[in-house]
Amino acid sequence: MYKSAIRSLLSATALLAIGVASPAIAGEYDGVTIDAKLIGGQQYEALYGRIAEWEAATGATVNIISKKNHFELDKEFKSDIAAGTTNWCVGSNHSSFAPQYPTLYTDLSAYVDADEIAGFVPAMIASSTIGGRLVMLPRAQFDVSVLYYQKSLFEDEANKTAFAAEYGYDLVPPLTLDQFRDQAIFFADPPNFYGTQYAGKDEGASGRFYEMVVANGGQMFNDDWTPAFNSDAGKEALQWFLDLYEAGAVPPGTTSYLWDELGAGFASGTIAINLDWPGWSGYFNDPESSKAAGNVGITVQPMGSAGIHTGWSGFHGFSVTENCANKDAAASLVSFLTSEASQIAESSGGSLPTRTAVWDVVVANAEGDEYRTMALNAFQEGATYAFAVPQTEYWIEASNLIFPEIQAAILGDKTVDEALQAASDAVDEMMRENGVY
Amino acid sequence: MRRKKIPTWFVLIFPALVILAAVVLVPLLFSLYSSFTPYKLTRPDTLFKWIGTFNYQKAINSAVFWAAFGRTVLLLTIALNLEMLLGLGLALLVSRVTRGQRALRTLMMFPMMFSPILVGFQFKFIFNDNVGLVNNALQSLGLTNEAIPWLVDKNLAMFSIIFAEMWSSTSVFAILILAGLFAIPQDPLEAAKVDGCTPWQTFRHITLPFLMPFIYIALAIRSLDVARAYDIVQIMTNGGPARRTELLWTLIGRTGYVDAKMGYANAMGYISIVMAIFFTIFFFRKLNAARSELGMAG
Repeated sequence: MYKSAIRSLLSATALLAIGVASPAIAGEYDGVTIDAKLIGGQQYEALYGRIAEWEAATGATVNIISKKNHFELDKEFKSDIAAGTTNWCVGSNHSSFAPQYPTLYTDLSAYVDADEIAGFVPAMIASSTIGGRLVMLPRAQFDVSVLYYQKSLFEDEANKTAFAAEYGYDLVPPLTLDQFRDQAIFFADPPNFYGTQYAGKDEGASGRFYEMVVANGGQMFNDDWTPAFNSDAGKEALQWFLDLYEAGAVPPGTTSYLWDELGAGFASGTIAINLDWPGWSGYFNDPESSKAAGNVGITVQPMGSAGIHTGWSGFHGFSVTENCANKDAAASLVSFLTSEASQIAESSGGSLPTRTAVWDVVVANAEGDEYRTMALNAFQEGATYAFAVPQTEYWIEASNLIFPEIQAAILGDKTVDEALQAASDAVDEMMRENGVY
Repeated sequence: MRRKKIPTWFVLIFPALVILAAVVLVPLLFSLYSSFTPYKLTRPDTLFKWIGTFNYQKAINSAVFWAAFGRTVLLLTIALNLEMLLGLGLALLVSRVTRGQRALRTLMMFPMMFSPILVGFQFKFIFNDNVGLVNNALQSLGLTNEAIPWLVDKNLAMFSIIFAEMWSSTSVFAILILAGLFAIPQDPLEAAKVDGCTPWQTFRHITLPFLMPFIYIALAIRSLDVARAYDIVQIMTNGGPARRTELLWTLIGRTGYVDAKMGYANAMGYISIVMAIFFTIFFFRKLNAARSELGMAG
């Protein structure tokens, strides 16, 4: 109680200090209206509640003209670019989608102080810089997948003995992808219980494949953007998915699963180990929403055969359009929404910050909460292995060519070699058609 | 000099022509033009680059496109025929009901009131392999001990989509055929009874010919609907897995809006429209033939 009071006091003091240090000057943008297209969803609303503070401080008004998920926003942005209706000012952005809009957003480094930019985790600023232009500032919605597991399975003496006898090493949460596969197969008891599950479609499937290719020492593209995933590392990665599917260690419908189905799956208590995003940590341990609550372990994501951890990561951010009539005001809003105070407020809901200083506050706030501390330790270490999607505007298009071939191999329509060859040929043709090389 | 008077008929239809040109003709011509360009939504300048029939050639040489085309025709054939047979059966049964027929007719129209997106979500849940209603029921009844991957299996995925389509649209056939049944004059039916026709002979030679115009109208409407099937498939499987349920419009939608390749998507769209026109002409010819048989032509 005493500790928690001190913690609250510290947080409040930090918020106050940051609030005072805010760069906006009262009345600076009197009468200015900023049209914004933002990502919608319950977990994002808390931050938008703070917009009123920025409006009061600057005299400007924020008019949210669109609120959708990123897939829908993506379509809307593309239609806007096509129709030339890009004079709205602030848009939600995402590291996976950002490379697709090379002309839509302005270079924020011209509007935001270098000191302020230096406050973000450097890897995220690097991922937000496309073609030498800082196209977005990251908000406190950083994603890198870590390993969730059911603790009781690993504590069970019978499991320990049986596993050691079968596989010749101790049963502890997997350190490598090979161990992950062994354990998933060991725990599986279909159709009532499965060892693991994976995103089997859309960018979820290509992204998981991508991070495993990297973890196995390969890469998706060569420096000249020719496809490079049809390699030993790629084959090893795809074989991993196939092995789990063939052994019945994953639900048979996993190739039609995406994040919501996967989250619901682990929360149903029928999945032993699960590579998933930080945003689920609260949900998985909440007895209201999860049968695994109280039994959830979280550890850093495993390594591939090259000794590299998986770490496909992404983060949300805010951008300012090139055609915005008042880019200074828009950049001020983006700075405000990604400031330390905003990130502290947003990460109190469980999401991960993208500012170095805010990590310290989040860790201090978690003191005494064993589960949250375990989660944060895993996320912090996991974040050090994070890498963004390949920085090409054709990533999503390439992903749409790759994932059906991954599915074809998993479901047995093609061999691993045939599927990777077909995916590589299709991506190669697409890159050529787009004049990349 | 006398001013030339604008004909009244032209004045009357002019507003309609302007609206039609603005909302149909111009977008149609624009999309047709863009199908001859490498138009990419995120690169507006590509709209002005003429590449001739490249997109059409690419579509015609694409195995993925033709597989989607074939699947769409398959869906069209199976779904339309089954919906027609079930709709006919349903209409015949309902027409025999003497009490509560009005309530039954309203009930029959219920699925039509659901948005296709809702139908998609509903059947996505029903056919989910892990927590779905069907698998849980089959497992609880002891009929299977496996989690049947309804939305993944090569044949079952297409079956699930056809099932959802049928659930939502069989009543279109039933309602139209029921209207046809009510319109049948009673004299030939009574004459058939007097002449000693069996119920099957009466149905085959009197009822069915009378119903054919209604059936063809329903087929024409539904063939256009199914040929552009998108919502239900998009929600249930999004054309996957491994393109096993990829139809023309899920492929075209993804190419146009997700890959942003609108030029190529439009080329595929135009090839598909030709298919839709073919089906419409086919059914309308059949409709006219059926009407001629009944002396209703012209």
